[in-house]
Amino acid sequence: MTHTAVAGAIPRAARRPARKASASRAGLYAFLVLAALFFAIPLLIVLSTSLKPMDEIREGSIFALPMAPTLEPWSKAWLSACTGLFCDGLHVGFWNSVRILVPSVILSVLAGALNGYALAQWRFRHADKILTALMLGAFIPYQVILYPLVKIFSSLGLYGTLPGIVLIHVIFGLPTLTLIFRNFYAGLPEELVKAARVDGAGFFRIFLQIMLPMSVNILMVALILQVTGIWNDYLLGYIFAGRDNLPMTVQLNNIVNTTTGTIEYNVNMAATVLTALPPLLVYFLSGRYFVRGIASGAVKG
Amino acid sequence: MSSGIQIRALNKSYGALHVLRQIDIEVEPGAFTVLLGPSGCGKSTLLNAIAGLDDVDSGEIVIGGVDVTDAEPSARGLAMVFQSYALYPTMTVRKNLSFGLRVSRMPKDEVEKRVAWAADLLQIRELLDRKPGQLSGGQRQRVAIGRALVREAQVFLFDEPLSNLDAKLRTEMRVEIKRLHQELGSTIVYVTHDQIEAMTLATRIAVMKGGQVEQYADPQTLYEKPATLFVAGFVGSPAMNFLPGTVVPSDGIAARIDGHDLPLAAYPFLSEPAAGDEIVLGFRPEDIGLAEDGAPGVPVEAPLLFTEPMGADTLAWFDLAGKRVSVRLPPDRARALSGGARLALDLSKASLFSTQTERRL
Repeated sequence: MTHTAVAGAIPRAARRPARKASASRAGLYAFLVLAALFFAIPLLIVLSTSLKPMDEIREGSIFALPMAPTLEPWSKAWLSACTGLFCDGLHVGFWNSVRILVPSVILSVLAGALNGYALAQWRFRHADKILTALMLGAFIPYQVILYPLVKIFSSLGLYGTLPGIVLIHVIFGLPTLTLIFRNFYAGLPEELVKAARVDGAGFFRIFLQIMLPMSVNILMVALILQVTGIWNDYLLGYIFAGRDNLPMTVQLNNIVNTTTGTIEYNVNMAATVLTALPPLLVYFLSGRYFVRGIASGAVKG
Repeated sequence: MSSGIQIRALNKSYGALHVLRQIDIEVEPGAFTVLLGPSGCGKSTLLNAIAGLDDVDSGEIVIGGVDVTDAEPSARGLAMVFQSYALYPTMTVRKNLSFGLRVSRMPKDEVEKRVAWAADLLQIRELLDRKPGQLSGGQRQRVAIGRALVREAQVFLFDEPLSNLDAKLRTEMRVEIKRLHQELGSTIVYVTHDQIEAMTLATRIAVMKGGQVEQYADPQTLYEKPATLFVAGFVGSPAMNFLPGTVVPSDGIAARIDGHDLPLAAYPFLSEPAAGDEIVLGFRPEDIGLAEDGAPGVPVEAPLLFTEPMGADTLAWFDLAGKRVSVRLPPDRARALSGGARLALDLSKASLFSTQTERRL
């Protein structure tokens, strides 16, 4: 029994308490569940209301689950709800939003990446001043410059057109996107560009063949920011898109704020979910990249 | 075919900071020139200027007889290896090697031939389809060298290529680079702060300090006849011993150190000092002997401080004229020391410097 004797002779530090379901842990979980419910309940009510026929809604209990679930409000919201004068449903606005979104996102992300790459990896004269100007741009609330912008765009003939609203989104996206990409590219060794220059590659070839393939994570971050930002935009679309290109958010507002006839809560709820769906899907599908991209340089620096 | 490099009166400033001052260097075709110096001495800036990655303010750079001072990097007929390897992370090794060739629109079969040749030469054939992230440091370094080789450039530039490797790999890659140089016979300009690398690789070394070239000579000359106090102190490990002294008249002139007069008659002066001048005497640790063993020179009594066994020989440190002086001795001879010894200072092997100008006398 010499072993125990020796072991007993050495004083031992207090053991870490074993992980067990203590009272504090139960409290923690209770809080988390409550917090989750707090945020989930409005969404659940929206979903359950959108599935109820109007009769059930009139009974007045908004927490009651639908007794006879129906998809009628959804199809009405999509196909025949009245948005102002026309009664074609939300799908018109959906496709308008898509037509605005796709070119706006692609152009703004590409331009932001190109800007960031130029600012971070090609130390040209006054690069720091341009960066400062962009920072200012990122912090100026755009409501302040709406009126001059409207004047400029109308004198250019871009006011109320699809290219006009796309250009607006690209311009307003640039400061933030440029900063994000600049910070990412500033973290890459400058020897990479030097090596490529010795290899004979020019500015654009280095960008397209070396920098962009390395930027998948940060591209996803930019993509998510822009998709949600542009899809959820109301004010710019309302002002600049013109009557034929009104985005989904504007049409949703028109449906919900109709003042004639009965208020169809179920249709309103369905329309709201339909409008919120695309950004939600983007988050679910690319959340993994989002976290990775943020970790790899979006916020550092 | 390799080409030489002539650099004439090159100047470069970053704002008020003058990083390159009147650089004049001539690199023979096929030479292995090392730019050596502490960090911030301008050696990397000079290399970037040769590569065309940094603009210069004045002066000219001629490669292979063509003035390339304002030419694009790719138009200078050179290849470069970087400290951080700078491999393109999203491309396979094969794509990395062939990138430059594909940029210059070389026919596919020629590209493949060159990649295969470089891969064989560097023994990285089995790595060709991997990405840089899957390679070890030494393998990445080989790929980086391979990317330079496939260009079949006239001139190769190396920017501290081994400083990210561990000690053992560094020695291996050093031998490898030397072998490549002998095999290909190309002109190489190599930047390092490691004087062992410089001594072992170079045919000529340019020691730089504060944006200037202190001395440009072959390694042996640099070691035995350093032109300035800085070069003497920077090159050699352990460093050269410096003893302050005064020139005194005695049968010609002599150097007086700590009360001992060392006759200077045998010293090959570049410019002879006058009596009363302050000088610095430099002795390499292996150039100081023990008077007991019959080493030539003036014997000077010095107490032993401590010894440092280094394997092949032992460094014995003595207290001489208030300075620590190291003497390289065989290990068993060093073990026999006790208390002190009579050091033999032989002026024929010393380097003398003026205290005022810090230049060799």
